[in-house]
Amino acid sequence: MKRKQLLVLYSLTAALLLSAGLQAQRRVSGRVTDRLDGSGIIGASVVEKGTSNGIITDLEGGYTLEVTSDTAVLVVTYTGYASVETPVGNRATVDIILGEDENLLDQVVVVGYGVQKKSDVTGAVGTVKGESIDYLPTPSVEQALQGKIAGVYVSPASGEPGAGAVVRIRGTGTLNNANPLYVIDGMIAYDANFVNPQDVESVEVLKDASAAAIYGSRGSNGVIIITTKKGKKRENAVISLSSYYGTQQITKEIDVLNAAEFGQAYNELVGQSYYPDPSTLGEGTNWQDEIFRSAPIGSIQLSADGGSDRYRYSISANYFNQSGVLQYSEFERATVRLNNDINLNKWLGVGTNLTFANTQRQNAATGAIGGAYRMPPVFTPTDSAGNFTDPTSPFGLAIGNPAADLYYRQDNYDKANRFFGSVYGDIKFLQNFTFRSNFGFDLNNSQFRNYLPLYDVSPSQVNIDDRLNTGVGNDRRWIWEQTLTYNKEWTNHRLTVLAGYTAEERTLENLGVVRTNFPGTNEELLYPTSANNDPTQMGSGGIIEEAIKSALGRVNYTLMDRYMLTATLRVDESSRFAEANRTGYFPSFGLGWLMTNEPFMQNNQLFERLKFRFSYGVLGNQNSIANQYYPSLGVIQSGLFAVFGPEESLNEGATLTNYSNPDLKWETSSQTDIGVEFGLFNNRLSGEIDWYNRFTYDIIAAVPIPDYVGSAGDPLVNTAEVRNTGWDIMLNWRQAGRFTWFVGGNFSPVKNEVVKLNDLRAEIFAAFLQGEAATHTVEGLPIGSFYGYKVAGVFQTAEEVATLPRLGNEGVGDLRFQDLNGDGVINTLDRTNIGSPIPTLTYGFNAGFEFAGLDFTADILGVSGNEVFNAKKTFRFAVYNWEQSSYDNRWTPDNPSNSVPRITNGGHNYRVSDYFVEDGSFIRLRSVMLGYTLPQSWTQRAKISRLRVYLSALNLWTNQQYSGYSPEFPNGANPFEAGLDFAGYPVTKSFQGGIDITF
Amino acid sequence: MQPHISSLRNTLLSAALLLAAGACQKDFLDRTPLGDATADTFFASEEQAVYATNAVYQQLRQWDCVSLPYLGVTDILSDDADKGSTPNDAPFLIEMDNFTFDPTNTSMGSVWRGYYIAIARANLALQGIPDVDMDENLKKRLIGENKFLRAYAYFLLVQWFGEVPIITEILGGDEYYTQQRQPLQDVYAQIERDLLDALEALPEKSAYGSADLGRATKGAARGLLAKLAMLKKDYPKAEQYCLEIINSTQYSLLPKYSDNFLLTGENGAESVFEITAVALEPVDGVTGPGATPYNMVQGVRGIPNLGWGFNRPSDNLVSSYENGDPRREATVLYVGEVLPDGSGQVQDNPEIIGERYNQKAWVPSHPGLQDNGPGNIRVLRYADVLLLAAEALNENNNPTEALKYLNMVRKRARGTNNFILPDVTVTDKDQLRERIYKERRVELALEQHRWFDLLRWGRAASVMQAVGKNFVSGKHELLPIPQTEIDLTSGNMKQNPMY
Repeated sequence: MKRKQLLVLYSLTAALLLSAGLQAQRRVSGRVTDRLDGSGIIGASVVEKGTSNGIITDLEGGYTLEVTSDTAVLVVTYTGYASVETPVGNRATVDIILGEDENLLDQVVVVGYGVQKKSDVTGAVGTVKGESIDYLPTPSVEQALQGKIAGVYVSPASGEPGAGAVVRIRGTGTLNNANPLYVIDGMIAYDANFVNPQDVESVEVLKDASAAAIYGSRGSNGVIIITTKKGKKRENAVISLSSYYGTQQITKEIDVLNAAEFGQAYNELVGQSYYPDPSTLGEGTNWQDEIFRSAPIGSIQLSADGGSDRYRYSISANYFNQSGVLQYSEFERATVRLNNDINLNKWLGVGTNLTFANTQRQNAATGAIGGAYRMPPVFTPTDSAGNFTDPTSPFGLAIGNPAADLYYRQDNYDKANRFFGSVYGDIKFLQNFTFRSNFGFDLNNSQFRNYLPLYDVSPSQVNIDDRLNTGVGNDRRWIWEQTLTYNKEWTNHRLTVLAGYTAEERTLENLGVVRTNFPGTNEELLYPTSANNDPTQMGSGGIIEEAIKSALGRVNYTLMDRYMLTATLRVDESSRFAEANRTGYFPSFGLGWLMTNEPFMQNNQLFERLKFRFSYGVLGNQNSIANQYYPSLGVIQSGLFAVFGPEESLNEGATLTNYSNPDLKWETSSQTDIGVEFGLFNNRLSGEIDWYNRFTYDIIAAVPIPDYVGSAGDPLVNTAEVRNTGWDIMLNWRQAGRFTWFVGGNFSPVKNEVVKLNDLRAEIFAAFLQGEAATHTVEGLPIGSFYGYKVAGVFQTAEEVATLPRLGNEGVGDLRFQDLNGDGVINTLDRTNIGSPIPTLTYGFNAGFEFAGLDFTADILGVSGNEVFNAKKTFRFAVYNWEQSSYDNRWTPDNPSNSVPRITNGGHNYRVSDYFVEDGSFIRLRSVMLGYTLPQSWTQRAKISRLRVYLSALNLWTNQQYSGYSPEFPNGANPFEAGLDFAGYPVTKSFQGGIDITF
Repeated sequence: MQPHISSLRNTLLSAALLLAAGACQKDFLDRTPLGDATADTFFASEEQAVYATNAVYQQLRQWDCVSLPYLGVTDILSDDADKGSTPNDAPFLIEMDNFTFDPTNTSMGSVWRGYYIAIARANLALQGIPDVDMDENLKKRLIGENKFLRAYAYFLLVQWFGEVPIITEILGGDEYYTQQRQPLQDVYAQIERDLLDALEALPEKSAYGSADLGRATKGAARGLLAKLAMLKKDYPKAEQYCLEIINSTQYSLLPKYSDNFLLTGENGAESVFEITAVALEPVDGVTGPGATPYNMVQGVRGIPNLGWGFNRPSDNLVSSYENGDPRREATVLYVGEVLPDGSGQVQDNPEIIGERYNQKAWVPSHPGLQDNGPGNIRVLRYADVLLLAAEALNENNNPTEALKYLNMVRKRARGTNNFILPDVTVTDKDQLRERIYKERRVELALEQHRWFDLLRWGRAASVMQAVGKNFVSGKHELLPIPQTEIDLTSGNMKQNPMY
């Protein structure tokens, strides 16, 4: 439809321009091309500024124009693209590159079950074009969104190859799964890990209730709509090749003691000279160097698109390979995508969106990261003969040699073939009606393999049965959606009515085999065998089914291009709930006022565009129970064998081990949004400011229960209320011309607050470290706030130990906690709130320019207002290495520190206290890229319409207070433990070079 | 052409609508777990009644019930054992050994959780089994077994923590956070009620079929009733239950003391109740389906590598034996000693100071790793019953009978060596009491009875302080309620004094 409008516009403009008289004095020619793919733009208007002298570009984008003087300025415009002004000077050839105008009013946005003119949208929708993310060397689209959209907080799940990310839209709205819903080319999905970021045409984020309500029970955490590239009508197909290659490293090393320092610390710990002269120990082993490495990352993509009035296609193939900075981790993905749209006749259209992705992941034993952090430097990974050393003696370490851990656990792979897509048919009838039947499918066949060989490194690191654990999974999901759309325009009214009915079913099946006793250790023998000859081979399996059906409806009404109304209702029924609580109703409405279209604004010189929005709606969150499929039914666990009889035989035992809650119902959130959008100075400055109040109630969450209940796991309850209030602020300045530049920023202050937990209790305790809760979730504070003692200082003298309040065993040099309730003793009642894991502000900046073929982009992002609990530092089951700062600043009689305790191992210095709470704020240069597009005159001879090379860096620089690898770490998905760093796979920095060629 | 096209269009439209409606039958949304029973379909058959009961036995051999935390609140807490292992391993047990623990120490949290899980499983079985259509005799027995197992769990909890919540049904969601500790007398009454019901319902040991050897018996119920009576200082009742066991002729002392602790002695003539385990080939590489961690955590650490080496026999215990008492050799495994099955010799491990191990927890080589422990945990031996009988009879002023049972135990320990462990002849009540107490210690050493005996005798403070422990009278007689329970009930549950 957009195409059609453009064609009309094209003809009109052409007629207008041709009718104008030409007063040429000097001839200029050139070509107008698309910035994205270098293809020629047909029908762009090239006008000499201040005159009516102009022309329309031809089929190849070429033009020739007689201009009046050397001071002439060309104004090049094309609907949907930002206009460009460029002085001619003495040039005879003036090539012009047009980019899509992100500020344009008539931009079309994808809103779920349809598209809408941006000017008509009453909800808060953030948009990112594919070109703003496809240059980022990230394995997933989620990671690429980091810092791009106000109100969308992205934390990379980890630096693990192929990792996704934790995405939070407008704060953390629930105590459980707070992940947004993904909709990929119209098909609902629960992740986007398989999507190749370079296939993305645009990403729309539905942030408020008016926008997201059409996804009802799954819209409460926001919706991310990913649209992959579609074919465009072109004379000739555009064929592109793009590739990059680079290398990744960890962003920093943690400063731990070297061997000499460790020896000194150990002597202090045991109070004697275990090492007579520690300084002779020297540097020792830096275990981090033994497990981390520089790792390559690369991608190569071939794509083609084109089409005619009747048939449009876009096809691509991509291979992505990312090695991990931790040894023995790697991710490979090959994707093929084919999107087709076919008009069979005037009333019947069909199409497909198909993606096939093949992935393989080698999983490293990530426990080695914590192992390397803890392992004393006085050991070496291997002895002189190259055998792994036993580092357990003399300290009684319960951890193994991390290098051996990585080596022996390397045969660990996940492989998957995922076929994702949809087939649709459109029938137009009675002039204004369109019926669409869309059948979507998501088929994922996966396989895992984990072989553990025989090894004997030490008594705590031994495997006496070599063992293969392998299996397959089959995840089948289909959605069938029938929608009927009525669309009618009158002079002053525009009306779209949508009604639909959908059904969805999912089946997950898995089968696994465990085998020991192989006829040898040759690689070709390490497989399951035929069943008849191996009694050690054991099978396992499982199946889960679920279904949802829904009815949905939406009305969009626009009056006089000024006043807009959107009303939405979705009714969902889910098999995850018991029959009585199965149905949920999710209504919303939105109002919009485009003030600049009012007659009284016609003379305003300031605003190109000024629009106000208001919306309110109710959404559900079914996915908060995604990992527990029958939460209302207690599942009986079997295999709990009792042993009886003289033969000591197994007797089957079965019972209810995890308690359930039959009264579970929908978790619901209501959201109010007030927004303003504006464009000033010829739309060069554009912005969007929203205020929202997002209130989630009946929150379903697994809530810790006392152990006397006797449930092995925590049941799910509709318990809590959480409020997120905040602002989404986006400002962009963009100036196009010979020197095109832009600068933008987004700011998202958010306040997260637990409003209510439930009537029975005031707190939820979680993240137990050595038996003590490290977080509590309590009314009035952010979710998962840290909870523990406050350090008052360090005991300096025996007299202080004798007289000041203490826990019991403290000695001189140990941490002294605050006696908060003033009762003269330190006990658990003296614990308090000691920090919040949730940022109060997230922000991003981006800037760039294009000039004479050069292009430069930089993205900066940051968070502030949050803390990190350095949980890895508290684990002391034996004598582990210490961090440099704990050593350098430690209390000694000569250094009477009042903040850092003496060297100890275990004990109350490692109790949960604010000693382990660190500032989580950071600002990071997310990406920086410099590219150069070779002049067409050079490349044309090689039949290349565009050739660009670039260098880029990701996470090049970070300013962080936190002492760990990164204030972002792979623990963010569980809101109760989001701020605890347990030494997971750290995020990485990388440098790449790349090339883009369009034929 | 036009009519043809519009008829195709109508056909397509109608077909799509019909198919869409048809895809969603009424039961489209009724999904249940496949391959798993659910709480509302369970207890449909006799087998399931048995399964639910067996699952209680299974819980009792799990980590929370019988491993490091359990040893921490029994032997290591008492004067019988030190923490053992290497000095820095498991600091939480050092705290138990030295009475420096507080409510966050995981020992308390684990046993509390472990035994309340056992109670919950018994509660579920006791709620479900009565309505099962099944053999009435079997039903009665299963109910008896569950009541016995529930009473056993409460009996441990009450001795450790004092007043505890009494939970006898599966709690509903609105009851999770509201439970309170109940008066001691109510806990005792609950235990006694369950045991009396069990006594009535359960068969004697010999009345079970061979395949059911190891299930709770009348004798086991009487044994716990006797112990409960001793705890309440109701000596006539204690005497009565002990004599009933003795007169039932179900049990006898094994000729050789040390045979009790070999695999061949499991569920032997002397066994009144055991928690059963077996080492079968592991399916997950580490532990088999019948394993317990009890043996591993106490096994020889070093060479041969049989375990973690916790629960070291204390110097005080070693020196408490009479000269030549063979029970010391049977209880303590020294460096240089040949293992009971002759498979090897314990080598010196320089990392362990004063290396020695609990020989009663030793098990011979078996399938799987050390984690796959096969040893039954001897909860109640006939010798224990005889000594209880002696103690009760003495308190009931019947020294003659008391001496009879005391000397039965000594005689067996003595074996054929008449130069050691002479019969006790003292009849003075106080002196005889001391002899019985002493005998209990050495006969039952490192079988996790000592701490409870010290408490029962009111001697925990004096004995522990005498061995230099930081025992505080009025505090350490009770262990602290786990901090998680106090936290989760928002203070609804009160802590024991001075914690």
